[in-house]
Amino acid sequence: MKRVAALGVMVALALVQVTWAPRISIAGAFPNLVLATVVAITWMSGVRAGMAWACIGGVLLDLSAPGAVGPHALALLTAAYVTSLWARNFESAHALHAALTAAAGTAAYSLTLVLTDGLLGQPGIDAGIFIRLAVAAAVYNALLTPFALEAMRRLRALVREGPEPA
Amino acid sequence: MYGAKGSSHATGLFLTLCAAMLLLAMLSQQSWAAGPRGAAKSALAPLEETMTSAANGVTRVASILGDVSSLRAENARLQAADEQLRRQVVELDAAAKENAQLRQALSFQKSSGHKVVAADVIGTGPDALSRTMEIDRGTADGIRAGMVVVTGAGLLGRVREAGPHAANVQTLADPQSRVNVYLSRNGLQGTISGGPAALQLDLQHTIGVVASSGDWVLTSGIGGTYPRGLVVGEIATVTHRDTATSDQAQVAWVNDPTSVGFILVITDFVPS
Repeated sequence: MKRVAALGVMVALALVQVTWAPRISIAGAFPNLVLATVVAITWMSGVRAGMAWACIGGVLLDLSAPGAVGPHALALLTAAYVTSLWARNFESAHALHAALTAAAGTAAYSLTLVLTDGLLGQPGIDAGIFIRLAVAAAVYNALLTPFALEAMRRLRALVREGPEPA
Repeated sequence: MYGAKGSSHATGLFLTLCAAMLLLAMLSQQSWAAGPRGAAKSALAPLEETMTSAANGVTRVASILGDVSSLRAENARLQAADEQLRRQVVELDAAAKENAQLRQALSFQKSSGHKVVAADVIGTGPDALSRTMEIDRGTADGIRAGMVVVTGAGLLGRVREAGPHAANVQTLADPQSRVNVYLSRNGLQGTISGGPAALQLDLQHTIGVVASSGDWVLTSGIGGTYPRGLVVGEIATVTHRDTATSDQAQVAWVNDPTSVGFILVITDFVPS
């Protein structure tokens, strides 16, 4: 039941990302809610959970983007893995660490997307434009992720405090 | 947080999942997979449509609130005005804007002579590296990949992929987008690519001819992807260097992708 609810939340986040988020674009970038959530999950529940939700969230994003199904899942997987390399050295998640991993994860995500597109025969992106977009997105996601982490903590506390099944 | 063994297991799982996703991407890109892929993407379209409608509702409420606060500051008489009347004014304003868009679209259809299919925008691309739009028309409405997409104001992009009841449009703002253009004033040729803010224009050098701010940019038709003569935008800034082989310019696009809600797909132009 919890997993179905979590899947519902992920679907809602992906939909918000492809409908509402572009309205608050700054310097060409807008918040990547799915990436922020995957980073937060990796900090809270470990790399396996992070990678599992990266695949699910990524496929949902792929369904709203043109082209093959898989590139966004692959990009989110690298973001989760990069986060785990950092998170393995800490016992608990701190907002600053979460923000820094989100920035590093966004860089990995953007680079993976461009490399995958190249591998799949899609046209390339000008390096200057790519760097500007990736940096803007990294800053945006770094600011967003501590809030995602806090929301996840509260959600987890709420679920734990809930009534036990009979 | 994790031990060395857990770490190597995580790396193994990461590599396995990467390989699986790469395989999925390669398989789903094959021509035989286009049908199921389009159907899967169309399945998500109704949810996106609902979410976009909700987002538009929220924007409208926000504009009412913004309108109320500015009126308070400006005019005491309007402070006492009826809330319902103000809401009606905002709604009428929104309707007028939509009517203007529709009139512009109708005018484009009449003046260009192209056959078009109208569609609503129901979603956008998932990140800044993919500036695309999802529309609520697909192959069932005659939409095919490669078709050119415009608004009443000018060129918006082209259909990248079409499912049965939804399609994806690659806008000119997409960093992967390339359009061959010319300047209406002096005929200078160039290529426009997407960028974070304005469109980037790479203009060929021609001795004695220089582009300047305010020049209109139109599609040249070279390459056969777009018909000739569609308005793209107006040059905002030009960077000219005598030593360079080309000039760089930024183009103020006639379309603002964040506010486009209604588009036209040209169905009778076949890209070569």
